[in-house]
Amino acid sequence: MKELRVTVRENVPVAQNVFRLTFSLPEPVEGLRCGRFVDLSVGDGAHLLRRPIAICAYTADSVTVCYQCKGAGTRRLAACKEGDALTCVLPLGNGFVLREEERRVALVGGGVGVFPMISVLKEYAGSGKTFYSYIGFRTKAAVCGEEAFRAGSERAVLVTDDGSFGEKKNAVEAFFDDLSAAKPDVILSCGPAPMLRALKAGLAERGVRTPCYVSLEERMGCGIGACLVCVCDLENGEHARVCKDGPVFAIGEVKL
Amino acid sequence: MVDLRVELCGVPFKNPVIAASGTFGFGKEFNEIYDIGVLGGVSTKGLTLEPRLGNPTPRIAEGYGVILNAVGLQNPGVEEFLRDDLPFLREKDTVIIANVAGRTLDDYAAICARLDGLVDMIELNISCPNVKCGGMAFGIRPESVREVTRAAKGALKTTPLIVKLSPNVESIAANAAAAQEGGADCLSLINTLTGMVIDLERRRPLLANNTGGVSGAGIRPIAVRMVFEACNAVTIPVIGMGGITCAEDALEFIMAGAAAVQVGTANFTDTLAMPRIIEGLHAWLDRHNVRSVAELRGTLRLNG
Ligand SMILES: Cc1cc2nc3c(=O)[nH]c(=O)nc-3n(C[C@H](O)[C@H](O)[C@H](O)COP(=O)(O)O)c2cc1C
Ligand code: FES
Repeated sequence: MKELRVTVRENVPVAQNVFRLTFSLPEPVEGLRCGRFVDLSVGDGAHLLRRPIAICAYTADSVTVCYQCKGAGTRRLAACKEGDALTCVLPLGNGFVLREEERRVALVGGGVGVFPMISVLKEYAGSGKTFYSYIGFRTKAAVCGEEAFRAGSERAVLVTDDGSFGEKKNAVEAFFDDLSAAKPDVILSCGPAPMLRALKAGLAERGVRTPCYVSLEERMGCGIGACLVCVCDLENGEHARVCKDGPVFAIGEVKL
Repeated sequence: MVDLRVELCGVPFKNPVIAASGTFGFGKEFNEIYDIGVLGGVSTKGLTLEPRLGNPTPRIAEGYGVILNAVGLQNPGVEEFLRDDLPFLREKDTVIIANVAGRTLDDYAAICARLDGLVDMIELNISCPNVKCGGMAFGIRPESVREVTRAAKGALKTTPLIVKLSPNVESIAANAAAAQEGGADCLSLINTLTGMVIDLERRRPLLANNTGGVSGAGIRPIAVRMVFEACNAVTIPVIGMGGITCAEDALEFIMAGAAAVQVGTANFTDTLAMPRIIEGLHAWLDRHNVRSVAELRGTLRLNG
């Protein structure tokens, strides 16, 4: 984990209100991997907090993230141009890790939660894992990453809430509809809280014991584990820091 | 070579830059980024006798040049701190300040007694705006400031006592004087100002707690004014804070009369803020041919 001045290489819209930003690293960074995140300044003095954004892809000298424009801070970020300097603390959080014996992997993603799912596909491309992707969006204009999911998965089911693209259902429904065919050894998921709640409830109702890991989102202060701003509730009554102990948790461990 | 050393209540600091409570945990995480032994001191997350879970999330929001937080004193409790966190801090060559809070006078006395002699200084948080009975009640009126300070001081045999003042009061000068009368060895200020940010779409406050403590660059002029007023009301040393982001900001507080400073929110914007401030102090003193930072303290002259 370190703080670096990074340079914007590309910052372009990829779907309604969603931008893809690639920045150059001034020096090598160890520990970049899927499911971890970076904490990126938005480039002005008005916004004192960096924005935590999941790693979507990385190379030896660059990192790509995708973010949704949802407030003044991310609008400022969206205005950044090639060559602009930002500060970035990275890499942060624990990330997704697949065990050797976890060969069939289900990815359940919704909204901007699809990008960490793409990072898993990229991380494990060519590793002999078989991916089954269930990806949901609100509407057609929000769809992104289709190519990555189709190219990286044995089966990729893309759906929308309003039926304007793919079937009219959500990612969790698409996943459960296909569960008996996909027979995953492990389930990875990232998306809005209601989606994760539905996934947890669905697994419990059906008595599915397949290990399942979810990536959580929370507003952050320090991003490195010091301020206790970003906590989530655990089933055992304690709190965990999303930025340091997460963002990836076993679904049974967290209250959603 | 300039001299950044300062002394407060007989405790030597290698420089006047201290991590502000609640923004730095117990130092372990920032130590992964730089050696926290370069700091003058570290004020811990607010400790209570028993562990506390704090407020629901979201616990943080932004305003223009400021942030609001409502963490609500989540902490592992004083015993876990002593067992798991203090040994790590002890290995670092930096002054350890335990920030403490309580619900009752007895709580304050008990936590001070427990920590007496085990840390370098104790900072009494009587100004947390984010918890009912988080001490804020004690921090508002001069009579109760005096009373809680006396209770804490009575429980301490060796460790110097800092009383941290709230800015959400009628008169900072009166509360500063009351803390000194109660037996405080040192003051620190300001804690956060109470504020609110509203999410128009949901027609609800952004923070789950509705209100939160405002901190960061935007509050600095208010903080400097309050530190100036407090310094003029007491004879004990004062630690200034509120919106410090660079060496020049820190020097405003020192010229206004502060013996040392704390840095909070700037650690979020820039994980290296404090090492940079220390470097910046060296450079500023060097450029201005000032030999020692202690010489600058209280050198402010008012107009007319
Ligand atoms: C996230 C956060 C948590 C805080 N927690 C505490 C605390 O536990 N005890 C305390 O005395 N002050 C606490 N504070 C207040 C700071 O120590 C400091 O007084 C205030 O933030 C002003 O300084 P700044 O503008 O440099 O942040 C907290 C501040 C923030 C931002
Ligand atoms: S954001 Fe500070 S602990 Fe997670």
